[in-house]
Amino acid sequence: MVLLRLENVTKRFGGLVAVNRVSLKINSGEFVGIVGPNGSGKTTLFNLISGVYFPDKGDVFFEGKNITRLPPYKRAPLGLGRTFQIPRPFGSATVRENVAVGAMFGSLGGKINVDESLELADQIIERIGLGEHRKKRASTLTAVEKKMMEIARALAMKPKLLLMDEAMAGMHPKDIDQTVSLIKQIAVEENIAIVAMVEHIMRAVLGMAEKVIVLHQGSKLVDAPTKEALEDSRVVEVYLGRPLEE
Amino acid sequence: MRKTVQRYYPLFPVFAAYFILFLVGKNVSGMWQLVSTLLFYCALGQAFNIFLGMTGYVDFGYVAFMGVGTYGMAIAITRLAHVEALGVLIVAIGFAMALVMAALLSVAVGAVALRLRGAYFAIATIGVNEGFRFLIEGAKIWNGSDGMIFTAQLNQILGRETASALSTFWADVIVLIIAVLAAFVTLFYMKSKIGYALTALREDEDAAVVMGINVTKYKIIAFITSASFAGLVGATSWALKTPYVFPPEVFEIHYTIEAIIIVLLGGAGTLLGPVAGALIYGISKYYLSIFLPGFQLLIFAPIIIIIIILFPEGVIGMLKKSFRDSTLMRFII
Ligand SMILES: Nc1ncnc2c1ncn2[C@@H]1O[C@H](COP(=O)(O)OP(=O)(O)OP(=O)(O)O)[C@@H](O)[C@H]1O
Ligand SMILES: [Mg+2]
Repeated sequence: MVLLRLENVTKRFGGLVAVNRVSLKINSGEFVGIVGPNGSGKTTLFNLISGVYFPDKGDVFFEGKNITRLPPYKRAPLGLGRTFQIPRPFGSATVRENVAVGAMFGSLGGKINVDESLELADQIIERIGLGEHRKKRASTLTAVEKKMMEIARALAMKPKLLLMDEAMAGMHPKDIDQTVSLIKQIAVEENIAIVAMVEHIMRAVLGMAEKVIVLHQGSKLVDAPTKEALEDSRVVEVYLGRPLEE
Repeated sequence: MRKTVQRYYPLFPVFAAYFILFLVGKNVSGMWQLVSTLLFYCALGQAFNIFLGMTGYVDFGYVAFMGVGTYGMAIAITRLAHVEALGVLIVAIGFAMALVMAALLSVAVGAVALRLRGAYFAIATIGVNEGFRFLIEGAKIWNGSDGMIFTAQLNQILGRETASALSTFWADVIVLIIAVLAAFVTLFYMKSKIGYALTALREDEDAAVVMGINVTKYKIIAFITSASFAGLVGATSWALKTPYVFPPEVFEIHYTIEAIIIVLLGGAGTLLGPVAGALIYGISKYYLSIFLPGFQLLIFAPIIIIIIILFPEGVIGMLKKSFRDSTLMRFII
């Protein structure tokens, strides 16, 4: 089933076309990797999907519903969760409270009270491996811990689609493998589609994605199953600069 | 059940402070006037904290809500004094009017200004207070700059003795009750989704929106609540206690600044902070004006600035940070 559909979406900043006539489809439960060089429009694409920006042209559909002009706070309850490229914790709140906010205002929204949200937060924090930091202020976490907390916070929203903007940058390769398999496991259990922006970290793409979308200067260059995409000569040229060693 | 009770532990120190204040004022001769001022600051701080502390937005026009509340009470007393059947009920109607008028003004201001972010909101609100004052004076609303004096009507409604007891004692008790109510509401908000939403938007508004929080809605909730309490404080401290009202006296930005100082000194967004801030501010201001009359501002301003720089999270914020894990902290939020 098609969960998210973009049709000819364009976003300009002044004279710069950050996202140029991009169309794509994400099925429910699918893992999709988005790659592309710096400034190719990945974060902007995420912002268009989550509603931080509205497109200048084109439409965004979620579960068949046109959400092009829906404000972001109305998208979250539909089942749209995301993490940020630069972590944005609610600094003075504890890790537990941060994650509980996700539960309270995400897709469970009206159905869950504060105590239940905190309980759910505890479970997710434990699972994601932040148990010992539960009561710490989010501002005191390390950069990597903040990223993990953001993943936990987004998972607490019980999203149907989770957008991860460089969620694992700065992590140790070993931790990445572990995190990827953990997230994949949770995503399968809860039928979450994941679109992950995974620049520079090819192993994360390979470990997670069924499909890869390549952006180049705001346009979609390739949209194909992972293996196929990585062998595509245009990708090798534009993105990797060299063939994959294997 | 036990959990529900535990949830209200943090009210203990707040109410303990109020209780001690009351006892000192009642039993130590010559202290009631200071206690009366301190109770006013506590109520003001607690009320303003619901907006300033919980959202992180600075409203420079805050005193306008107190001013409007003062007028609400004044209008009820002057217009209804002749209806003898109403009696003391007129005061109750005055409170209702103060509440409604302050709330309405906050909806009007909030609907426009709360769409602006942080600093822009602060700038926009600077004009509200002055604008309202000039509107009343210029358009001669509510007697314009002649103000309203209703000592006679208050005496007529309550009798001379009760009216006098009201202004010297009972008005202060009502302020105390308002402060207690404001503390209750603050804690209730803190423990509910409203508090979580406000914390989130105070820390990072853009992230909060993406997390599904309708930030404008929650800001307006905090704004109306805070403004309504300000209206009640105005109706009590500035109408019942002193039965007259003149625009320049009630739309005086000086009180907004005091309220900001109290909240920041004590700890913005904490429950006990406004009380601590009110006591530190009120007591030092009182004794400085006795021992160094005329110089208080010169000495006071730098001290306050230093404290706020040293403890950016306020006195209670700092306490919370230093004693995070001790059981005592269950009582302090
Ligand atoms: N708010 C903005 N205002 C103006 N220009 C912007 C804005 N956001 C992004 N851009 C520009 O749009 C282009 C695409 O940026 P975007 O952040 O989407 O790229 P990205 O693929 O996420 O890059 P990176 O790999 O560095 O994260 C860049 O040229 C960027 O400078
Ligand atoms: Mg980016």
